[in-house]
Amino acid sequence: MKISLVIFLLLQLLNAREIVIIADKNFPKTHLSEKEIKAFFLDKVHFVNGKRVLVMNRKYGEPVRMCFEKLMLHKNKSALERYWRKAYYQGKRPPKVVESTQMLFAYLKNITPSIGYTDKVELLSHKVKVLYRAECL
Amino acid sequence: MAKKILFILFVITTILLSQDEIDYGLNIPNTPFTIGGYLDMSYDEKREAPVLFDDIALLFFGRFDSFELLGEVEVSNVSLEGKSNRSSDIDLNLERLQLLYAINDTDKIQIGRFNSDIGFWNQTPIAMLQETTSNPHLSQYMYPKATTGMIYFKRLSDTDSMSITMQNNSDIGQEDESIIADMHMAFSYHLDYEFFSWVFNSGLYQEHHLETKSYYTGMAVKYEEDTFMIQAEFFTQQSNEIKDRPYSMYVQTLWRLDEKQDIVIRVESYKDNVLDIKEENCLLGYLYRPWHNVVIKSEYIYHSNASLSRVVSSISVLF
Repeated sequence: MKISLVIFLLLQLLNAREIVIIADKNFPKTHLSEKEIKAFFLDKVHFVNGKRVLVMNRKYGEPVRMCFEKLMLHKNKSALERYWRKAYYQGKRPPKVVESTQMLFAYLKNITPSIGYTDKVELLSHKVKVLYRAECL
Repeated sequence: MAKKILFILFVITTILLSQDEIDYGLNIPNTPFTIGGYLDMSYDEKREAPVLFDDIALLFFGRFDSFELLGEVEVSNVSLEGKSNRSSDIDLNLERLQLLYAINDTDKIQIGRFNSDIGFWNQTPIAMLQETTSNPHLSQYMYPKATTGMIYFKRLSDTDSMSITMQNNSDIGQEDESIIADMHMAFSYHLDYEFFSWVFNSGLYQEHHLETKSYYTGMAVKYEEDTFMIQAEFFTQQSNEIKDRPYSMYVQTLWRLDEKQDIVIRVESYKDNVLDIKEENCLLGYLYRPWHNVVIKSEYIYHSNASLSRVVSSISVLF
């Protein structure tokens, strides 16, 4: 029984997805708090050092996005829909949706300041700043 | 003919724009502009024309560096015969036209015509974004719904913020049943936590064509979690004449049955010496969202003035 439990927990750990909140290599900060990340992705904060930040989201339904929304925004699907309905009327806009990981890194390479998020395993040798790490089970 | 066109427009918009996403509006390619809008159609059994398109509105947005432009133009109270406000001419009303300049991340200035920064109801005063089809008394009679002037926003910390409103000129919107002000000075303080938030408001205004100056003070509180929400607002208004509005308040609770269905109860009480009424009412409503951008609502209002007890229903689309 105990062995099964240990094996189960180990498997869970192996399956744990680590997401990283990343920015372009010239991003003026080395770390963002959870509250700051939430504020950027809910369009409540727009600037860093006086420059408008390009905020990028992943495609709807992608596991990495579901993990990000649950972990960092603390909102489920209907809560986010409720939030964005009102926010849209008030002039707020959701983050830009990138179609692929390649596109995310292309924007990060060419636009500063810009932030997004991805699965840790996709980081590879891309030159970006890691601002925050979080783990989804 | 107009009836058919309106119905076809409504049905097409409802179906075609029900995308499963959090994004709305249509971005005009290679520009910073987005256009969108909303439609509200309601049924009120006690109204002269029971079925009306309350609002057919166009929204437009633009963002360029530190500036944000937002406009809202609407046609209201369009009957199935195609008449707007009982006239055969279509009356376009400028609801909002605001230009915001972000000085930095904590300070912003906005000019133009905008929804007054008061309470919770007035931040999203359209049927699509409210839990009920009918509006509480205070949303119409206790403060100017819109301001044509300037507002300064200051974010004081992660949780609290304030704003100062200044208007000393005529309103550029069309006159309607709400308070239209020629002067409006106001202060607002917001506190927002993860689940709980509250707003304090105080202001002074002078109504269009009147010498009377009125002061209002109020507070709004809200607690919201995934399956439950409770919201309450209380306002009092005094003027330099004898008649005033001692109080107007409501408490509204909402239960989310599942992702698509909600039940809402609202209890309301107000004393209005200008209209010479002191009334209470209780509302029981049901909401159904077949898609994320469509809401169908129906409610029964039990009113202390029996002639106002009635059923009200609506369908709204945001696009």
